[in-house]
Amino acid sequence: MDLFSHSWLPFLYLYGVGGIFFALGLFIIRRSGSLNLTKPRHSKWLKVLYFGFVWYLMIHGVFTYLALG
Amino acid sequence: METFHNIGTSTDWIVMVVYFMAIMLFGSYFGRYTKTTSDFFFGGRRFSWWLITMSIVATGVGSHSFVKYSAKAWEHGFSSTMTYMNDWFFVPFFMFGWLPILVYSKVRSIPEYFEKRFSPSARFLATILLLLYMIGYIGIGFLTLGKAVIPMLPEMFTVFGSQVDITLMRAIVVIAIITGIYITFGGQTAVIFTDLLQGFILIFAGLLLFGIGIAYVGGFDTFWNLLPTTWKLPLADYNQPSSFNFVGIFWQDAVAGSIGFLFMNQGLIMRFMACRNVNEGRKAAAVNILFVLPISAIVVGNAGWIGKAISITSPDIISPNVSPDEIFVVVASIVTSPGVFGFVMAALTAALMSTVDTLINATAAVFINDVYRPIKKYLGKVAYTSEEEKAELFAARITSIGITILGVLAVLAFKNFPTVYEAHGYFHSTLTPPLVVAIFLGVFWKRFTPAAVITTFLGGVALMLLGARYPGILIAPFDHGIEMNPARPYSYIRALYNTFVCIGVGTLVTWTTSIQNTFTVKMNKNSANLLSVIAGLIFFGIIFNLFPINIALFSTIVLIALTAIITSYFIPYDESKIIGYTSWSIESAKRIFKGSTPNENEGEKIMLQWRLKDGSENDNVSFSRNDMNRMMANTGDLVYLCDTRRWLGGLKSIHTVYGESHNEDGVVYINKVQLERGLFDKNTTLYAEKEM
Repeated sequence: MDLFSHSWLPFLYLYGVGGIFFALGLFIIRRSGSLNLTKPRHSKWLKVLYFGFVWYLMIHGVFTYLALG
Repeated sequence: METFHNIGTSTDWIVMVVYFMAIMLFGSYFGRYTKTTSDFFFGGRRFSWWLITMSIVATGVGSHSFVKYSAKAWEHGFSSTMTYMNDWFFVPFFMFGWLPILVYSKVRSIPEYFEKRFSPSARFLATILLLLYMIGYIGIGFLTLGKAVIPMLPEMFTVFGSQVDITLMRAIVVIAIITGIYITFGGQTAVIFTDLLQGFILIFAGLLLFGIGIAYVGGFDTFWNLLPTTWKLPLADYNQPSSFNFVGIFWQDAVAGSIGFLFMNQGLIMRFMACRNVNEGRKAAAVNILFVLPISAIVVGNAGWIGKAISITSPDIISPNVSPDEIFVVVASIVTSPGVFGFVMAALTAALMSTVDTLINATAAVFINDVYRPIKKYLGKVAYTSEEEKAELFAARITSIGITILGVLAVLAFKNFPTVYEAHGYFHSTLTPPLVVAIFLGVFWKRFTPAAVITTFLGGVALMLLGARYPGILIAPFDHGIEMNPARPYSYIRALYNTFVCIGVGTLVTWTTSIQNTFTVKMNKNSANLLSVIAGLIFFGIIFNLFPINIALFSTIVLIALTAIITSYFIPYDESKIIGYTSWSIESAKRIFKGSTPNENEGEKIMLQWRLKDGSENDNVSFSRNDMNRMMANTGDLVYLCDTRRWLGGLKSIHTVYGESHNEDGVVYINKVQLERGLFDKNTTLYAEKEM
């Protein structure tokens, strides 16, 4: 049974298209100056934002891998 | 479909009644902290991140409820968690765009933002769209509540010798009356604290049910091995079936839903605005989305997974034909004992009530701020006395009752969908895109003009209506291969079409501003009024479906052009007037918020005792010079004073301003108004922290 359209295809779409939105968000907030990396607190928040993206990517990736056995 | 009645025992009902009474008493206790409309709607902007995080649980879990996610978990497995775990993509926009703008611009509602960023006309249209969205959301909440309790009720009961059938709508009316009570007399502080308690209880109840359910089916290994592979995958199939597919739900929920929830759900926004500062709001959002939402996804969906496992091993206990919207109640009643079932059901229904309460409170806030106050201003009553404040608080409470009634009526629009999930998906896909696009472009694109936002509302809605009428022609090019169900065409993927047309209209109008200006210089008031009438007639024709598709599409293009030109004529755009309202001017927003240049030097947090100063009416507090030096503060800077007991989460606190210094270290002088607002107890230690 071909499960690609039920497993890795939605995964790639989610983190591909979602990733574009995420990257666009980071670009705009940095470009507009609302995320100001000269402030130590903002630098920490940037790390949190990256962590969140990787966190969810790993949750979905690991569960897909486990489900497919 | 198999449906149920009379599930549960009298013990369960006793537990539920006791639970509800306890929750209402708890809410009423905190209702006494409501003294002004600011308290009623925003809880006085003083709470810590952890309190807001947990109180959001009850709101979020309630709105993305046990009923609808258990239903999808029962039908499709672990992919029911998708919608809880796709919100992170727009968090950068929220944390560093929308949230600071909301706080620093001191807007009380989303429509008020539209007035400040664009124009009063934009506010008017935003108010209509937002009220429709909020009341629809309340309707979905009531529908879910009704579907949750119906399986526990008998089919009919006898009153004074006559039999009364228990229907969904009758159950919802009774629920609405109970729901309206403490929101009407409590306000936002009551809701926040009630939700805080319920947030903990909900997670506990959901995980308890998961643990008991896993034990019931024979342990985790048995449970895991029982489920088919497709049930274990965390994401749905790419484009089938039409009632639950990944790509449709991505655009409906991860894009329109996430932006809608973070950017235009007034209920959630009011929670973030109740945080004591922007950084606390960011923490609340981050912890909630990163950690609480994945746990919540298990909490709300596990009954469906357990039900599926039981139905595989024992179809005589749970038939595969159980109605999806009833699976939660059925599974909970099977795996738990009497009393525990009552507790789980009480937690579920109370959480749903929290969601509805939050939304009622938020909708009342929009009504008071964007309808009641502008009317009073129009009538010349702008002076704010304590009597006016009391009258406004009374109006807020009456509005809450009116909104509750409208919410019950809104159920009629959704009750015929096969599941609450699809009703909610359809609702989100249809109502959120115009506002979502308008807020988003307004915040992040400073060139986005009033003409563009108003045309997005009118032209976007016109194109959305055409899409709803001709989905096979207009939405099909966006369908990613999803089959069109003629009964409910493209419930989810229509969000992509709707978002696309709204962004398209907004972008096109912004990019053609100079062309519009070439027309407006040749116009006078009479020609502008004439064009307005023509545009109004076209919009009327599209709404009431008076044109065949070709003419309707052409008319919409004309409508877009006319609206852009007319709005450009009446509302010239001046970028210098929007400082503080886009992500490009957050620092200016901070300066406007404070009233002078922010002091960003990081000082110490200090502990002190409060003392009352005599007869002072101004909003300053006085610290010793040494204490101010330790805080790196100057006269005129903003300061936050709070009770040191952390478990209060900032309930007893105030925001104020540094006044002239004195010489008594460890003492802060406050006035009577500040004492009452801060709810400070005698002889308690406070901490003070410079804000900016």
